[in-house]
Amino acid sequence: MGKMLENFSKRILAEAGIAVPRNAVARTPEEAVEEAGKLGYPVVLKALVPVGKRGKTGAIKFAHNSAEAAALTKELLSMTVRYFPVDKVLVEEKIAITQEWYLSIMIDKQRQAPVIISSLDGGVDVEELSRVHPERVLTRHVDPLFGMAEFEAKEVWADLGLSGKPLNLATQALARLVRVFWEKDVSLLEINPLVLTESGEVMAAASVMSIDDCAMFRHPELVGMVQLGSERTWRPQTALEMRMVEVNESDPYRGTARYTEMNGGDIGFLCGGGGGSLLAFDALVSYGGQPANYSEVGGNPAEGKVYGITKGILAKPGVRGLFVSHNITNNTQVDVMARGVARALEDSGKDPRVFPVVVREAGVNDEIAKEIFLRAGIEYYGDDTTISEAARRMVKRIKELEGRE
Amino acid sequence: MAILLDKDSRIAIQGITGREAAMVTKHGLDYGTKVLAGVTPGKEGEDVHGVPVYNTLRKATLLHGINTSVIYVPPAFVYDAVLEGIAAGIKLILIATENVPQIDAIKFLARARQAGVRVIGPNSVGVITPKDRVKIGAIGGDKVDRCFVPGRVGVISRSGGMTAETSWMVKKAGFGVSTAVSIGGDALVGTSIRDMLILYEQDVETDAVVTFSEPGTRLEEGAADLLVAGAFTKKLFSFIAGRFTESMPEGTVFGHAGAIISGGTGKPSQKEERLRSAGADVLERFDDLIPRLKEALK
Repeated sequence: MGKMLENFSKRILAEAGIAVPRNAVARTPEEAVEEAGKLGYPVVLKALVPVGKRGKTGAIKFAHNSAEAAALTKELLSMTVRYFPVDKVLVEEKIAITQEWYLSIMIDKQRQAPVIISSLDGGVDVEELSRVHPERVLTRHVDPLFGMAEFEAKEVWADLGLSGKPLNLATQALARLVRVFWEKDVSLLEINPLVLTESGEVMAAASVMSIDDCAMFRHPELVGMVQLGSERTWRPQTALEMRMVEVNESDPYRGTARYTEMNGGDIGFLCGGGGGSLLAFDALVSYGGQPANYSEVGGNPAEGKVYGITKGILAKPGVRGLFVSHNITNNTQVDVMARGVARALEDSGKDPRVFPVVVREAGVNDEIAKEIFLRAGIEYYGDDTTISEAARRMVKRIKELEGRE
Repeated sequence: MAILLDKDSRIAIQGITGREAAMVTKHGLDYGTKVLAGVTPGKEGEDVHGVPVYNTLRKATLLHGINTSVIYVPPAFVYDAVLEGIAAGIKLILIATENVPQIDAIKFLARARQAGVRVIGPNSVGVITPKDRVKIGAIGGDKVDRCFVPGRVGVISRSGGMTAETSWMVKKAGFGVSTAVSIGGDALVGTSIRDMLILYEQDVETDAVVTFSEPGTRLEEGAADLLVAGAFTKKLFSFIAGRFTESMPEGTVFGHAGAIISGGTGKPSQKEERLRSAGADVLERFDDLIPRLKEALK
């Protein structure tokens, strides 16, 4: 899933006919003052970062005049919210609210159907609420084939206790939100709070949205709004990670190569297969090794992709060796892996005689692969050795390096 | 008679003219599998390694008595391919394609459930029954016997690669597999570990099962519930990879799309605990599988 900033998600909601506060994006205190002037005081200032629960971290402020708007924007721009440095602020009209509700839509993986979680106690931490007052939180599944009928949306709010005009407006909003979820291939949509304003309107006051990035091929209109690959990290993507996303996207139909940077570490990590990579990483750690990154390739990647990702792995400062491992492959051509790795080592000026490289690659075309690896001076293992045994060798080679220094 | 596949499996490949699918067709034929037809719209009359190509699966099914299909079409076309399979009366559909949109997945999985059609995957590398030399998907590649030899151990893995590696470990221990299944790396798959255990329980040709798991989802928890209910009584060995992910901040994804740790659920240590207390033999190190199998099946 690719995360989306709030200004973009609100734009999508507005296009779908869901009321949202008027808003604008500011990069400096001056811009914030200008936009606030257009919207009229008081205004809400929100750190524009792709994380939820911003209120708790002090990333939402209220300004009543231009002096406050400038000072608070300056303060927000100096903050880091859950690893994300703030470089933009959302300036919004402040809505006069009478009620705050909660609504989220996501896919329940067990039931294999969209699930709607709703409550009339919005604006709070819903996990906490469902723990303390489960009776105030309503969970309803949506039929994957027929979607949600309007009466079902009405039942959600009626069962929670809404009536009168708010019931009808909330029903209409929920039906439209479900439609957005469906039509935009949303993986998570959270409106917290969905509010009833003093003028009797139902409005999405805050929104968190992410898109299923597997479905981006049918959403050209979302390009530039969705941060691809952003679900893989808990902090902003590093420059190296963004470059590696480009390497991966360069040939979307031929294999995958993913890269996540670890804090510190000295073993470059290039492993194959989702499960095999997890096993290899665990094995390195269990023998006292410290991987510098997590990278997995799969689905028979082209040589260029292997080359690109390996170069990226080797580019991280502090990397003193490289571990390359795969489960015994079903269809990934190991010789293609070998060519990409060997060429990247050479072009990065890493000589396997002094820069330890341990490889465990077996599978399609492994005789050719073995030859390429051995010719490059790489310590090679095939299907005579388990992944864990090869990992132990890697850690030993790195430790030997320390002995020599 | 093995589960899912046997000598009577009559197979068609949807999207057969693609590069990957053509290779899989060749490897399947070489192994001895009855790959009888392929489907690629507009290419009827062509053949792939001697296998005739049709415009529609219905025609392929009528002419060749197809009962099993393998989907290799690009992600955008998987939804339609599954519907075509259901409409043609196919009983087992394996989806090899990765990166299927999740809205599409919940829709075709619901349709398949209604129609009583078993779906394996998406993002499955295949299913194999070595005794009958029948395999669907890329599983085993061109040197199938390297990892998959006939025997009485069932293998289940979300990871396709680890289906092969685990079966190779079984072979290294001196045994072989009855049926090995890559259930698919996505969070939304047609057949769960629990579903597979139910099949293995009834399979007279399986004595023990090995599962290879990853963080995320609740598939292992579902399997543990089955054991607690007494509905799986054979020996079960389980390994959960990705313990290192527990020391990472929440919301991080490693491995497959299904491997997401969030909200404190799906952690390897929790899965291990659930399976262990349900009576499974949970492996501390993956390499322990070899001595443990030897001990249990001697």
